[in-house]
Amino acid sequence: MGAQDTEGPFGRIKVVECGWGVSAAYGAKLLADLGVNVIKLEPPGGDPARQWGPFPDGVPNPEKSGLFVYLNTNKRGVVLDLKRSEGRKLLGRLLERADILIHNILPPDREQYGLLTSTFKAAYPQLIVVSISMFGDSGPRAHWRGSELIASNAGGWAFLSPGASSHPELAPLKAFGHQCDFQAGVHAAFLALAAYHYRASTGKGQHIDVSEQECIAAMLEMNLMHYSYGGRETSRLGQRALGPWFIGDCADGRIFLVCIEEDQWQRLVEFMGNPEWAHEPLFRDRVVRGQNLDALKALMTDWLAQWKVMDLYKEAQRRRIPVAPVHAMSRLLENEQLRERGYFVEFHQSGMNQIKLPGPPSQYGCAAWALKRPAPHLGEHTEEVLCRELGLSTTQFDALRKAGIV
Amino acid sequence: MGDRPLDGIRVLDFTWAWAGPFATLQLAHLGAEVIRVETTMHRLCVTRAIPPFADNVVGANRAGYFNQYNQGKRSITLNLRSPRALEMIYELVKHCDIVAENFGAGVSERLGIGYPKLRECRPDIIMISISAYGQTGPARRFIGYGPVVSAFSGFFSTTGYVGSEEQEIGISYPDPNAGAHGAFALLAALTYRDATGEGQYIDLSMVETAVCVMGEGLLDYQLNGQEPVRNGNRDRVMAPHGCYKTKGDPDKWVAIAVSNDVEWGSLCVAMGLPGLVRDERFATAEARKRNEDALDELITNWTRSRDRWEIACLLQSVGVVAFPAMSNKDLSTDAHLMERGFLVRLRHPEISERVHAGIPWKMSETPCEVRSPAPLLGADTEWVLSSLLGYSHEEIEQLRKDGVVA
Repeated sequence: MGAQDTEGPFGRIKVVECGWGVSAAYGAKLLADLGVNVIKLEPPGGDPARQWGPFPDGVPNPEKSGLFVYLNTNKRGVVLDLKRSEGRKLLGRLLERADILIHNILPPDREQYGLLTSTFKAAYPQLIVVSISMFGDSGPRAHWRGSELIASNAGGWAFLSPGASSHPELAPLKAFGHQCDFQAGVHAAFLALAAYHYRASTGKGQHIDVSEQECIAAMLEMNLMHYSYGGRETSRLGQRALGPWFIGDCADGRIFLVCIEEDQWQRLVEFMGNPEWAHEPLFRDRVVRGQNLDALKALMTDWLAQWKVMDLYKEAQRRRIPVAPVHAMSRLLENEQLRERGYFVEFHQSGMNQIKLPGPPSQYGCAAWALKRPAPHLGEHTEEVLCRELGLSTTQFDALRKAGIV
Repeated sequence: MGDRPLDGIRVLDFTWAWAGPFATLQLAHLGAEVIRVETTMHRLCVTRAIPPFADNVVGANRAGYFNQYNQGKRSITLNLRSPRALEMIYELVKHCDIVAENFGAGVSERLGIGYPKLRECRPDIIMISISAYGQTGPARRFIGYGPVVSAFSGFFSTTGYVGSEEQEIGISYPDPNAGAHGAFALLAALTYRDATGEGQYIDLSMVETAVCVMGEGLLDYQLNGQEPVRNGNRDRVMAPHGCYKTKGDPDKWVAIAVSNDVEWGSLCVAMGLPGLVRDERFATAEARKRNEDALDELITNWTRSRDRWEIACLLQSVGVVAFPAMSNKDLSTDAHLMERGFLVRLRHPEISERVHAGIPWKMSETPCEVRSPAPLLGADTEWVLSSLLGYSHEEIEQLRKDGVVA
């Protein structure tokens, strides 16, 4: 694969990504998929995400981690041992040429990787540094560590999940995957561009401190206000505030159904053939229906069971009733709407079978989103970047290689 | 006051509910002037009309949901069904850089504020439409509230306790996920405009942005031919990895995650069971995964008689990641979040001071702050119409009488 395209509004932006796992990698991926020139630095053992899977047939292989491949499309990969001074010197040379550094090294570990925030301003006044950490760079818990599970609990999401539970013995529940890490990554990406916009008119770089805990605590619907406006502590236990709101069983799978507006409920009643029970006081308004959700669900069981999921979905939506299939991955991949929109991208990563990757997070009129380059093999672009772009001689490069720095 | 990264950027904001306002909130935090267009004639923004209300007194300016996600914005009221009001919108667009809306697909055209029309007013305008399924495709007009999108996008089928049925995920996650990705798309479009002078239209589908953060689930299915297993708080490789019951009222929990054998050794010592390190059932990560039920029971036996903060502090001090499952009350009163200035308390004209979630990042050269509480309905109409469009007080009064400003 040849050198990076450096033309166009995004191709001229140079990013160095230095991190592990999901958050920094996703932030840099959002930029890379628009054409931004991203160099991903990995330690000699590789990004831990290479060990996380999912793997083809469940067999661990650092070159075939599904998560790593997804998060690192369109990037070039360079291996550099930042724990050694020669490695940190090369990092410095990359940063001299970079516009943006995105990393998620936690505050207590930054010095040993040459990523001490306090040194950046003097050394690289134009550099934009976005650091993601669990609890931010300041405050009494700045040195605490965390991971996805910790973020989900520290940010207050897990305590609310799954919601409307009648099982106090079951713990707060983390959502599937690495959602908190993804959110920190999106924040890092838009903040990097905001700072880039500011730099265009002032020439000034800066440091941006993103707290993953705070990213999550800032997206808890109205839960913080339940406390500060009404003095109420909320949790995953209790009842739905309104109904119907439940996952029900159709003949060939499950469906999610909710009526937020009264007219939606009225259309649902009509759709069900106007059963007498629907006019009982137990179901007179959405709040009462939420309180009597078990009864409502039981009364709807037979009707739901007559339907196939996709038939009910389409018929109900045609009547402006908000329902959706509870999609398994297999069904999601073959969904008609996503297919019509050309959403999934057929993608080839060498050594793996053809896969479908999620497409653009939004469809742009002008900006060109594309998956042009597979995720880098470990160290794939080390020589290209260090020799061709930083100008190291072959002798110098071989010496670094022998010393295990690259 | 210092510079802000988006000083001089003006946003005309037709968004309502949550996803749209969450996108423009990020721009307001970054210093953009965000002008919400609302009306008193038809339906209020839904978040102005649902609880919690300050001190349980119903009122459009007292709703916590609205007041959280519209901090730092302005509000004008215009009756869009009046041709005169539409003309005023077209005039306002000439003074704006960005227009945002999240009506159902096709509604903005029907209202007369579609992209082709607004582009005539201002050729380099950037416009984003956020909708459930996107502006095209067979499902484009389907209703998709956040939880409905969660079901569709695979969150319910992949989330759940070990062995349980599909579970909901506690919050309407696709909304803030779409909002944050929407903020990214707008910053990308601004970057593009800075470089080329061209605006563009962005079509953001909540479903598609949600599938972007489901990548590992989709790959799990494609690489293994199996649906991701619902495994509660457990991890693919790490163990222990869970949320454990602690001392105190019935609903106090602490999350603990151990990622390697060294941390496992530290946890054993911290639990006062140094001999456990030699127990073969738990000696390696594979062994701990195999015996995870017994492992979780053992840890719960230790946590259940201890305070959650005592556990978190102890474990963090020995390098094991741990944190209490935070409730809305815990977050609103947290010393770390207060010291970082994340929690914001601004004087609101109707409901005085309330705690809100503020800005989850810090910028060194362009310090961001929440400049004002969410606007009272229509509070800025006169200021916006006089300062941007040059209307006199008398003219504005006449527009009120004519039902244009309403």
